[in-house]
Amino acid sequence: MADLLLQVVQGLSLGAVYAGLALALVLVHRFTGIVNFAQGELAMLSTYVAWQLLDAGMPFWAAFPVTLAVSVAGGMLVERLVIRRVEGGGELTLVAVTVGLLIFVNAAAGLVWSFAVRSFPNPFPTALGFGSAQSGFSALGVLGVVAVVMLALHVLFRHTGAGLVMRAVVADPVSARLAGIRVGRVLGLGWGLAAGVGAVAGVLVAPLLFLEPNMMGGVLVYALAAAVLGGFRDPVVTVAAGLGLGVAATLAGTYVEFVGADLKVAVPLLVIVTALLLPRRAAETAGQR
Amino acid sequence: MSAARRRAAPPPGSGARGGNGPAAGGPAADAPPFPQAAGPPFLQMGGLRAGYGPARVLHGIDLAVREGEMVAVLGPNGAGKTTLLRALSGMVRGRGSARLRGTEILGRAPEEIARLGVAHVPEGRGTFAPLTVEENLRIGAHLLPRSHVAGQLRRVLSRFPVLQAHLSQPAGSLSGGEQQMLAVGRALMSRPRLLLLDEPSRGLAPLTTRRLFDVLRAVNLHEGVTMIVVEQNAQLALEFAGRALVMESGRLVLAGEAGRLRPGRRVTSAYLGPRR
Repeated sequence: MADLLLQVVQGLSLGAVYAGLALALVLVHRFTGIVNFAQGELAMLSTYVAWQLLDAGMPFWAAFPVTLAVSVAGGMLVERLVIRRVEGGGELTLVAVTVGLLIFVNAAAGLVWSFAVRSFPNPFPTALGFGSAQSGFSALGVLGVVAVVMLALHVLFRHTGAGLVMRAVVADPVSARLAGIRVGRVLGLGWGLAAGVGAVAGVLVAPLLFLEPNMMGGVLVYALAAAVLGGFRDPVVTVAAGLGLGVAATLAGTYVEFVGADLKVAVPLLVIVTALLLPRRAAETAGQR
Repeated sequence: MSAARRRAAPPPGSGARGGNGPAAGGPAADAPPFPQAAGPPFLQMGGLRAGYGPARVLHGIDLAVREGEMVAVLGPNGAGKTTLLRALSGMVRGRGSARLRGTEILGRAPEEIARLGVAHVPEGRGTFAPLTVEENLRIGAHLLPRSHVAGQLRRVLSRFPVLQAHLSQPAGSLSGGEQQMLAVGRALMSRPRLLLLDEPSRGLAPLTTRRLFDVLRAVNLHEGVTMIVVEQNAQLALEFAGRALVMESGRLVLAGEAGRLRPGRRVTSAYLGPRR
């Protein structure tokens, strides 16, 4: 029983990471209408930045905000240098560009840091107990950090002037420009925010998965599934979906014999396919009426 | 900041009707102290051309608008009225020249033109549907200094009391008439010097339309806001505007004081359609 509880808590903490990256995907999609397949790789890059800072001797909770700031700036830079050039291009162009970005960032990280697997320190106290109590504690830490990020995003969007401007840009960029809003900058900020949220996911998941250039590949699949379930719109559904997927995959991997650790990643794929099929059928029946 | 300062002191309103004469629209704070008639035009268009891709819509518009004027633009569908407004607000690329207080605005982005004091209420409203009425109005004040927003919000709400009751409602849930009021209210929140209105009466009940134009006239008279109004309802436009222009196939074909262009006269009926 205690074992099951621990599995659930660990599933939730993985799910919180999926939810974080899913929120980053939703942010980018809301701002620029793009599904950023490179979101996971950008988060991986952020994690290497954090690792580099830690390696230089910086304490974790100092390196964390620096990493976030670097990531936000990096996200804005990607929007400015890459995305803005292809904005208004077809869907396929945008997909090709973000997939290209994925491959490029992955290879670049491999060049710089090599594909060797590194361990990443766990930011949460691990000396409190041993075995299950310890991993339970750090799982709660992950959940807490993701909750703080969500709350911060909520406050930003709902209770600040900058958030209002962002929501206006998302609702109607043309009217926003007519109101004197510099939409280009706001879109860049959206990418920056997304990169920041993704960085949180990366840094939190690194101690669980080990640090290597391909670490976010699996996470991205779960995050995409969560974002699809949230319709790439609804942050609450997206986060709930991320948490649910984390638990479902963990439990399936442990208790369903034929799934195991290797087939775990099939769980989100199944969810994506189901989620994509269901609304389509609903839309078709609505269309026939 | 400087834009806000420039717009902080509206010239006192004057004249009985929508600013249809050299006397209307008092001198702006920074205007030279000679009579308005001899002063530089507020908005001067020269050979203004615009279009979409290879399709040329405007074929050279020459027009001077004085500060405080309310100009109606009439003409059949496809005459280029909407394109004229879109060129002035930067939504389509214009060629030739359009100077606002001597500053060339063609080639600037819409957000930069808005920062010069131009507000455009496009066809089809353009409110932010998921945002509440109050949020819509606050976005309109994006360019105002923060300390001026509350006062401006009160002023605009006093002009459109109907919006007061819906402040926390999403704009998308308002009726067509209320949305149009909101669109105009949002434009006024920026304290524009030039207001471009594209068919504000479209889809509105006659009474709502009249109320809207009453507000526009009051803003024009009391705050000295210069207006260019594209309008299908010629009779209404001629009643409220000081001057009217008739466009056809991308050119100005007729211009004059609104009083002389009353629909029903033989010369105008061809352009304005039958009397409504």
